[in-house]
Amino acid sequence: MKKLLAVLLALLVLVGCTGGNGGNEGNGGSDVVNQIIYGSTTELNGDLGNAWWGNNASDALVRSLINDYSVIVSNQGGEFIENKTVTSGVTSVVNEDGSKTFTVGINKGLVYNNGEPITAADFVAYALVAYSPALKEAGGKVSPDTVVGAPEYQSGATNVLSGVRLIDEYTYAITINPDYLPYYFDITYASLSPLYLPMYASADLTVKDDGEGAYLDGGALVPEELDATRNIYKDRVSAGPYQLEDLDLGTLTATLVINPNYAGNFEGVKPSVEKILVVKAVQETMMDQLETGAIDFLSTLTDGSEVQRALDMEATGNFRTVHYERNGYGAIFFQCDFGPTQFIEVRHAIAYLLDRNEFANTFCQGFGSVVDGPYGLAMWMYKEAKDELAATLNSYTYSLDSAVEELKAGGWVYNEDGSDYVDGSGLVRWKKVTAEEAGDYQFNKTLADGTILMPLHIEWSSSEGNSVSELLAVMLANGDQTKAAGMEINQNIMSFSDLLNYYYRDASEGDQYGVKTYGMYNLATNFSAAYDQSYSYTVDPELLAMGYNTFFSVDNPLLDKLSMDMVYGVESGDNQAYLDVWVQFIQEWNRYLPAVPLYSNVYYDVMNAKIHNLECNSLFDFDQAVVYATVE
Amino acid sequence: MLKYVLKRIGYMIVVFFAVSFLMYCLYNLIPQDQARMELEPIKSTMKPAEYQARYEELRKEMGLDDPIVVRYARWMGLTKDLKGNMKGLLEGYFGYSRYFKQDIVEVVKEPIKNTIFINIFATILALGITIPLGIYCAVHKGGKIDNFTQVLTIVGYSIPTYIIALVFIYVLAVLLRIFPVSGMGTPGANYTGLKFYTDRLYYLCLPLIVMTFGSLGGMTRYVRASMIDALSMDHIKTARAKGVHEKQVIYSHAWRNALLPIIGIVIGWFLGIFSGSVIIENTFGLSGMGSLYIKGLNQHDYELTLAIQMFYTVISLVGALITDLSYGLVDPRVRIDK
Repeated sequence: MKKLLAVLLALLVLVGCTGGNGGNEGNGGSDVVNQIIYGSTTELNGDLGNAWWGNNASDALVRSLINDYSVIVSNQGGEFIENKTVTSGVTSVVNEDGSKTFTVGINKGLVYNNGEPITAADFVAYALVAYSPALKEAGGKVSPDTVVGAPEYQSGATNVLSGVRLIDEYTYAITINPDYLPYYFDITYASLSPLYLPMYASADLTVKDDGEGAYLDGGALVPEELDATRNIYKDRVSAGPYQLEDLDLGTLTATLVINPNYAGNFEGVKPSVEKILVVKAVQETMMDQLETGAIDFLSTLTDGSEVQRALDMEATGNFRTVHYERNGYGAIFFQCDFGPTQFIEVRHAIAYLLDRNEFANTFCQGFGSVVDGPYGLAMWMYKEAKDELAATLNSYTYSLDSAVEELKAGGWVYNEDGSDYVDGSGLVRWKKVTAEEAGDYQFNKTLADGTILMPLHIEWSSSEGNSVSELLAVMLANGDQTKAAGMEINQNIMSFSDLLNYYYRDASEGDQYGVKTYGMYNLATNFSAAYDQSYSYTVDPELLAMGYNTFFSVDNPLLDKLSMDMVYGVESGDNQAYLDVWVQFIQEWNRYLPAVPLYSNVYYDVMNAKIHNLECNSLFDFDQAVVYATVE
Repeated sequence: MLKYVLKRIGYMIVVFFAVSFLMYCLYNLIPQDQARMELEPIKSTMKPAEYQARYEELRKEMGLDDPIVVRYARWMGLTKDLKGNMKGLLEGYFGYSRYFKQDIVEVVKEPIKNTIFINIFATILALGITIPLGIYCAVHKGGKIDNFTQVLTIVGYSIPTYIIALVFIYVLAVLLRIFPVSGMGTPGANYTGLKFYTDRLYYLCLPLIVMTFGSLGGMTRYVRASMIDALSMDHIKTARAKGVHEKQVIYSHAWRNALLPIIGIVIGWFLGIFSGSVIIENTFGLSGMGSLYIKGLNQHDYELTLAIQMFYTVISLVGALITDLSYGLVDPRVRIDK
């Protein structure tokens, strides 16, 4: 017995000691000092097939690190610019039929990581693969509608992509469907990336153009072959700052080394960190991983205790942090076409009844802020219009009196029996409503004289295990001030998918979801560099039925117009016009208040102190910022 | 014997179909629109009319509007799929993962290898410790080592594995820095041969220690109790009275009797090498079947989770048969020919 135990212990110690050498290499005593081990809480799936199939965050990071040379890129401020390393210039012309053709010149001398040259044909090949019927059959999801001729090409009706032209060895042109113009971000339509065709097809395909449009000559794309490219890890041909050395799904690790043939990013900057390892970071122990040297970098920490620990670690001098505002926010989202939340005064009252500063401070544990509209503090529009917004937006400062005033002004001045409401009675307020306003809201009451009364009772849908919901329940739904105002908010906890079905009123998943049930939801959202809110406030009944306007702000055509005009009514490049509409949109949104913004986090990146000049922000991610970083 | 086995296989087939239908229905009761989920990432790149057309096309392609019985028959491979092929579970096709955008067989390849690798070591280690320890404690009942083991095993049995893992990580990885916090190998090391295995084992030491510690309690106490029962039997007293050597009494007479209640658990453990530990794999960042299953649930990839569950259903059914057959082999009193 003793012998057996001794043998087992000895075996463990032996393994620990012999394997320990390997482990120490990863624990900071590495042979390769000039490297960054990036800890990602999202497991690698190993899908490197562009974003056509999946959108796993770790896969996307690897894809971005090994693929660059997009003609149009976003810079540190989220502005779309021409990538001068790649393009000699982008010109555009509006055609007679309203379509717009972008002609793009490609710089000479660009090569893939294997040394083969990149020409305009490689950019055209990207479009020919992306819009191909074979890719669609292989499960790739690409919308062809923006490019002229792409829908016909994708359907297999023709093998010529008429909207994409190979002009010469270093020039291509792309024509945009007039239905999508004018569009403020239309420059992004001109953007293609190089695609190494031999990796995507066994046939000897070449890109040709006989004057009618680009096409593939020498064979056809095969769905199975396209699908297989997603998992090519050995000798993968790419054109980015890094190249893939290894991707091991067993250990969930991607190893990337500098691409010696990389010409630089949009500012001509080349990476100096020799190796990047993308590894799995476990949420519960990732700070331990960082502290023990198993990883060097963690991004976008928001949890207060984690941020505090990161700051404590920074105080030791062995780590550093970088923080920036989130380009997004968490909010209470209303549905504005039924029940009490259809009335603007009720939405205002809810905003007044919640101490949003206290909420943000508590939820973000000191690492967050409050916004008064659907914007992020890092946006260039916000920075430009900051003073104007500060002067014109209502911040709905916490005030029971203001909430009561709003409710009184909105007609919430009755008791259940139609008698006058007495402030401070502790009862729920009622309002006389028209039959149209009453709709089929289940809590309405009709008096003997036919008067319809609606109670100030709001059904709230919140997802299970959600700390925002828990805090909202305490600070709003069950708050004394809410009761004192004569309001009742009933929390309904459900799964997130259930919540979304109600939110989208998706009757295809069950008749119950098509019924107007919950007036408020708590959710969070992020904005991309292309701030495009089109269709999100549509008043078109058909689009509403398709789930485009989840606020159901059917009584506000102005919000719809502004959100559409902002992108579809402004020519690209006209930043002032865009900004003007954007400010009007934010102001109208703030007045109408289809949502009450709750918090916007401050993100913290924490890294080993050996890393310098790695300055990410919410519009400039690690994959873009790492080329500026050094390891010392 | 053969008749019994055939009868059991017949029952297994019935149970398999019943379970598969129930599970398929349960997963399909979950309210989610897979076509909408598929299109959501590219919704912003489409005009509403195009989105609607693509959405309807996709619902048709995925057969979402068909009755559940038709979809089940298609999934099971009892009828042709939407492309006209007989391609279902019965034909060995486990389905397509919507999250990974790959056939499920491809998705589970790496995780199942890792899970088997981890579990083989964990099972051998746990059985290698618990059985001798249980026997020793039973034979030396009330002794110092027995009392100490009782305390230790009750602690291991009572504390959730998740807590044990965090404590061990803190002590052995953060404070003492003997083992790495998580992972399955030195990042970017590209070791080969023996170095690869020692590196892998080094990274797996801590999860293995936690798994072993977590499983010590139950099995040790079970073996101990079973052995105490066996040692109190009359024939043991007779053997001792006849002067049989104590080792022979314990290992030949008592242990064989104690084995009967244990064998089911031991076989279960070995069959369990295919199933991953959700907690261990997630806590240590290991890519195994447990973490894959959770990922499938979190990503609403129900075809994947359904396939994993069906795999475990088959393992359980086969396991139950093997366990019953083994009872007959271990104990001649158990007849299994009826």
